[in-house]
Amino acid sequence: MKRLGPILIALVVVACGCYKQQDSRIHLREGIRSDTLDGNIVTRPVGRAFSDLIGEGLEITHAITSRNDAGLLELQVQGYNRSHRTKRFRYRVEWLDESGLLVTTKTSVWLRMSAMGKSPFIFKVVAPRPEAVDFRLDTRKWE
Amino acid sequence: MKTRILHLMAAAGMLIAGCGSQTANIDVMHDEGKAVMALDYRDFDQAASELVQSLLGSGALKKQGGGRYVVATGRVINDTMQRIDTDQLMAKIEIEMLNSGQAVMTSAIGSGSDKLIQETRELRDAEEFDPGTVPERRTLIAPELTVSGKIFQRNIRYSRGKQQVEYYFQLKLSDVKSGLRFWQDEVIVGKRGSNRSVAW
Repeated sequence: MKRLGPILIALVVVACGCYKQQDSRIHLREGIRSDTLDGNIVTRPVGRAFSDLIGEGLEITHAITSRNDAGLLELQVQGYNRSHRTKRFRYRVEWLDESGLLVTTKTSVWLRMSAMGKSPFIFKVVAPRPEAVDFRLDTRKWE
Repeated sequence: MKTRILHLMAAAGMLIAGCGSQTANIDVMHDEGKAVMALDYRDFDQAASELVQSLLGSGALKKQGGGRYVVATGRVINDTMQRIDTDQLMAKIEIEMLNSGQAVMTSAIGSGSDKLIQETRELRDAEEFDPGTVPERRTLIAPELTVSGKIFQRNIRYSRGKQQVEYYFQLKLSDVKSGLRFWQDEVIVGKRGSNRSVAW
């Protein structure tokens, strides 16, 4: 009986050692990739329930801006959906000029986006006018 | 007795009319209204915004050597079951193309043409007009690019009581001289709802 403890510890260590870190550019979803210690048939329902309980949602990791060849500001937003559920949302980008004044445009409307559970997401927006130098991004639930 | 009944009925009618839902203006900036099976202004806003961003982001409107392209609006076919004025889509796209500083739209020809441009030129021999104020010959600028497209609809039976309606917004930008297509994109707006909802 005393031997069972070290065997279990050894198994955990071996399992952790066998888990290979994937290329961050490639995302393998549950059901496709191999199960892990924190994501298997036993722990998954607990993890989901906990995720719902603490209200996990979207997280923005990067917001990159650059000017394209035509001199228009481009915004790329990268993020991660911490929740187990697909999060559907709308976003709206407002563009600001050098003085911080709003650049009026017909493209500043609520656009659709969705991010699958426990997955990264990315979207790109282009400012339609060259005077845009900064942005403001707002989000809301997709009704 | 009859008069009393009539009075009661009239009062009841007034009460019912008073309890009816009131007309409200839509908050077009942050509309939280439910989606509808037919195309509404939100779908056009979304399609136009996505198409404009795709067009401007593609660099297709950047003219070699600088300057602005002269663009004419071609035909935009409505192949849906709805009565749509395609200007609802094209006006937004034309505005953004103009504001981008990369293109200038022509009203001389195409579906966005202005009849008065031709009519003014017909006044060259009219005695009532100062000939110096009438545009001379060969002053109109021909378009270098045309933008045209199509909106079409597909209705699919999803399940017993549900239908799926798909709307496709397609747009393309072509070079008049070479006939080559510089840019093309498509935005899909899909809706699922009751069979009883009408998508036209």
